Amino acid sequence: MKKFTQKHLLGIKDITQEDIELIFETADGFKTVINRPIKKVPSLRDVTIANIFFENSTRTRISFELAQKRLSADTVNFSASSSSVSKGETLIDTVNNILAMKVDMVVMRHPAPGAAMFLSKHISANIINAGDGTHEHPTQALLDAFSIREKLGSVAGKKVVIVGDILHSRVAISNIFCLKKLGAEVMVCGPSTLIPKHIESLGVKVETNLMKALNWCDVANMLRIQLERQDIKYFPSLREYSMLYGLDKQRLDSLNKEIVIMHPGPINRGVEITSDVADSKHAIILDQVENGVAVRMAVMYLLASQQ
Amino acid sequence: MELLILNATICFPASPFFNKVCDVLIVGNQIDTIALSSKKTFANYTKNKKNWITDANNSWLMPSMVCLRSHSSDPGDEHKESLESLAEAAIAGGFSTVCVLPDSNPTINTKSAVEYVINKSKQLPAKLLPYGTLSQKLEGKELSEMYDMHLAGAVGFTDANHAVKNSGLMLRALQYSQIFGGKIFTHAEDVNLSTGGRMHEGNISVLLGLKGIPAMAEEMAIKRDLELAKYANAPIHFSHISSKGSVEIIQKAKKQGIAVTCDVAVANLIFTDNDMLEYNSNLKLNPPLRGKEDKRALWAGLMDGTIDAIVTDHYPQNVELKDVEFEYADEGMIMLQTALPLVLANAPKGFEINHLVEKLCINPRNIINLPIPELEEGSFVDFIIFDPNEKWILNEKTNQSKSRNTVFYNKEIKGKVKSSYTSNLNYEN
Repeated sequence: MKKFTQKHLLGIKDITQEDIELIFETADGFKTVINRPIKKVPSLRDVTIANIFFENSTRTRISFELAQKRLSADTVNFSASSSSVSKGETLIDTVNNILAMKVDMVVMRHPAPGAAMFLSKHISANIINAGDGTHEHPTQALLDAFSIREKLGSVAGKKVVIVGDILHSRVAISNIFCLKKLGAEVMVCGPSTLIPKHIESLGVKVETNLMKALNWCDVANMLRIQLERQDIKYFPSLREYSMLYGLDKQRLDSLNKEIVIMHPGPINRGVEITSDVADSKHAIILDQVENGVAVRMAVMYLLASQQ
Repeated sequence: MELLILNATICFPASPFFNKVCDVLIVGNQIDTIALSSKKTFANYTKNKKNWITDANNSWLMPSMVCLRSHSSDPGDEHKESLESLAEAAIAGGFSTVCVLPDSNPTINTKSAVEYVINKSKQLPAKLLPYGTLSQKLEGKELSEMYDMHLAGAVGFTDANHAVKNSGLMLRALQYSQIFGGKIFTHAEDVNLSTGGRMHEGNISVLLGLKGIPAMAEEMAIKRDLELAKYANAPIHFSHISSKGSVEIIQKAKKQGIAVTCDVAVANLIFTDNDMLEYNSNLKLNPPLRGKEDKRALWAGLMDGTIDAIVTDHYPQNVELKDVEFEYADEGMIMLQTALPLVLANAPKGFEINHLVEKLCINPRNIINLPIPELEEGSFVDFIIFDPNEKWILNEKTNQSKSRNTVFYNKEIKGKVKSSYTSNLNYEN
């Protein structure tokens, strides 16, 4: 049996194409499981997982939690609002306190880039990065690529454009690594103020014109405008952003081909994507959510089965 | 008291014995005799109560070094570094004089604050020369009492790592300090371009998801301040420049005859942003570690004379401020004890001993008008013995600083300052 090479899932940058494919194969099996009448398997019985969220999250946390329940793991949840972080406790102390209660795996979301790697140098449990600031969000990239593979048969050779706030997006960085490793062509599209200066070094195309990008691609991944992550204004108004980069039916219809529409959620309806597009047959937004559970089950299963 | 040093390689570029192995006899605090070791001048010299003989084993005998930039933390944060521990770290690293930045708490903002450092330093193994703040309390609003601090012994004026945002204030500082021969030392940074940045903007900042500080932020500030210095007809010193563009701009300004000098920090000569892939918070520095091209240009700038000096930019931080997420870590690295071996270990081809002495010993003294040590019969002693081959480990036992925020902690370092001989003190490491 193939083995997962990593102790942690800190980012897509550090894992291999084989790792990704192994995760997908494992996720295929789990996807069948979660569509059965009895959705639960005993794979991670007696494994304790802590979900530690220093940043708000609904979907990612629920997705992880559900994946853990389907695998029969024991879970504890910890979020910053109910935590001692506000009392000045350091990250290491917080996590060590939780680990002292015999926890095997940590799923962590944190606002600081590199926080997951920092933690991995200090503790012995498996760590899954559920988003570290503007750095990486590996499980999101995996479920996105898994969904493309499911919809189009494979990822290799496909043209994927990521549209929106690339500067503040961990989804974009992880997606770029993941799609490139699987052989896709990647373009980023958005206002120049929201595209990092040296992004080309990752081997992606850069486009500021949405229609050109849409005409080029097979898949458009519309990122959420993360107003909460912007310390200063990078564009004048949401209205104007939507005029330039909002995906509506008119734009979609003007293409002489069908493209797949993705969105990591939660959607700002009417900003980066209109309701009629989000709810159309082109959109695989809800498939992404479903696949998220299967992919996260696969990741946790593979990490736990190394021990 | 007499001291005989045998078999020392002379590293005083101006000396006729430069690069030769010599025996040096010191009487009191003056050089008595220098002779080639091969001549065995002191063959019959014997050790007794008053005489002391040491064999340097071909180690280098070079002028003691002067650092133009170090943070002190005293007063205010003595748990990071006190003036005592700063001086101990300095002399252990071969620095007989260290210029101390005024960003202590409270800041070195008044005559009495300047005197505090100077008076305390009189009892210490290294001389500490304080800068005064350029603006009151580093606020960047009003000029501080520079003349009063100058009279008290301030070595120059700077707002440390606080960039002077207000061009008008910078102009007035340049104009005003000139009346009494004060000098402005500036940290060049356009904060409108750098705010929120955590590292050099480049391929690596994209990989790490950290907001970048473009080299342009430094370069535009240097351009602005050069214009202001030209207008004021005042000399200006740029501290710790870090980018290729900065080197080019200053090179051009020097050719135009502007009275500009500058220095580079050791860290920028030995690391690049590529070393930060694991978010090592000890490499979180200001200015940030830049790219390969920048590092190369900094070394070239040293060799062609654009960059006048190398500074340690010693910046102690207690472990609690460093052993946290990169984003939240404070900036800075300690460097006084490791500067000389690290510069030597990383020097490219063409950077010779005479460059080393010029950038660490001679030019820093010229910039702050200190006399240059000489090695001739009758001159006062002011030198160090440095063994370029001895290996040692910077650890709890050897580290003189109160902080240990350096990537070299517990690492082996090649090249050790063995001892220092300055006017009133002989120091054995």
